Amino acid sequence: MTLVQAPPPVTLRAAPAAARRRPARSDMLERVTDGEHGPAASDPTLDDLLVATGVGDRAAFGALYDRTAARILGLVRRVVVDPAQAEEVAQDVFLEVWQTAPRFEAARGSAISWMFTLAHRRAVDRVRSAQSARDRDARIGARDLDVPVDSVAEAVEVRLDHERAHVALAELSDLQRECVTLAYYGGLTQSEIAERLDVPLGTVKTRMRDGMIRLRRVMGVST
Amino acid sequence: MTDAESPARREPDDFDALLAAYALDAVTEEERAIVEARLAESPELRAELAAHLEAAAVLADAAPPVAPPPALKASVFDRLDDVPQVSAAGATAPGGPAPAAPGAEPPGAEPPGAEPPGAEPPAASTADEREPGASLAGPAERAARRRWFQRPGVVIAAAAAAVLVVAGAVVGVNWPGPAGWGAQRSVQAIAEAPDAESVTVPSAEGGEVTIVWSEELGRSAVRASDLPDVGSASTYELWYIDEAGARPAGTFDPDAGAAYVVLEGEFTPGVVVGMTVEPAGGSEAPTTDPIVVVET
Repeated sequence: MTLVQAPPPVTLRAAPAAARRRPARSDMLERVTDGEHGPAASDPTLDDLLVATGVGDRAAFGALYDRTAARILGLVRRVVVDPAQAEEVAQDVFLEVWQTAPRFEAARGSAISWMFTLAHRRAVDRVRSAQSARDRDARIGARDLDVPVDSVAEAVEVRLDHERAHVALAELSDLQRECVTLAYYGGLTQSEIAERLDVPLGTVKTRMRDGMIRLRRVMGVST
Repeated sequence: MTDAESPARREPDDFDALLAAYALDAVTEEERAIVEARLAESPELRAELAAHLEAAAVLADAAPPVAPPPALKASVFDRLDDVPQVSAAGATAPGGPAPAAPGAEPPGAEPPGAEPPGAEPPAASTADEREPGASLAGPAERAARRRWFQRPGVVIAAAAAAVLVVAGAVVGVNWPGPAGWGAQRSVQAIAEAPDAESVTVPSAEGGEVTIVWSEELGRSAVRASDLPDVGSASTYELWYIDEAGARPAGTFDPDAGAAYVVLEGEFTPGVVVGMTVEPAGGSEAPTTDPIVVVET
């Protein structure tokens, strides 16, 4: 919890690749006492693993999969909703990650952001192609699009990033959050959101953009 | 932070708003094409998009994680051979931190829907020419691998002739199971040595292996995670490899992929630690290619 209160400025970026050879004591102690929980500090970062995947390292790709699959599937499922379709999409996402990893440049963004971008695009494409606008509308109406912002730690499963994301989203105004989540989880375009909310398109554009700028500020992301 | 505030204060022009929407995939196909045409020409816009995408990752992380069924990983790996990796040259394509997003392809190259990415033109050449330092394997590991592979005859012949000096009273032999607490404690003891060092490498078969050693104690140990099950007819075997060849350093069978093992025999500085899959019971010399090689 103390970590949550003192986030590093650029929180979504994995820590810089550390030398993998290092005095072993603290790492091993941590792993022995807490062996099941999360990667230790000396494990390769997701950036390392994606770069290694880009030169055909299947073991690295396997490790990357192990450490990101639940997050990727979670995102895809949130957008696509249907579990079986979500799994199909997630599989395609990982194949695309494998295929296009040579193009990943760690200097230009984090591995997880890069993977989320692929996953989200595919999920939205699936939603838009597989379902009519009417279906989608019903689907959106049938669930809560607004991310609960008072999420309580789910026992040991709590992930720092997950928790921090809720904290960050809580910083948006209700109207900004509505626009951003309708777009991101609902797969709606700006025009569709305007229609759905019955507000002018320009209003949607402004809210969405201001919401993104605000998220960037909260997360400490600058250009 | 202030650089994020200043644009927020002015009225967003249409393109600012469109770029934010693009980062959320809240655009039509036509809008997508417009944005990508502008991105291709402007490093500033690509940087702006990169910042948007980092922020969008917050939304992704706010979605509850869903544990994938085990079969999903298998089906991904089953298809890897069908999807050759692209050339790294495409990294200059638009898209900020996500140059390989479908949108970074020429418009229309990636039809919406779940088309398998196998349709990508085969262009894996430059990926192979990449700086090998980019590989996950450290220089020591690569050197050790080369050594193993370049002199297999020497190594194996020498190993066959090697005298087995492993006595029964070696630390780590009598622990209750490879992943038992006793083994963990003894691995921890090595890791706690003042001169302890460690290297973590991926196993060629999946999973990760950390080798920890202490010259002072003359011991080394292995901590492994996510190793694949090799079945009851096979076992993992550890080796100390030096100029004299490969010496067996113990076998183990991971528990749910995890294992803590102290190597049998004495650790000497500069020795190479290797790991292979061998027939159950272990071999006296490696019979398969190593899946882990670490130079200490």
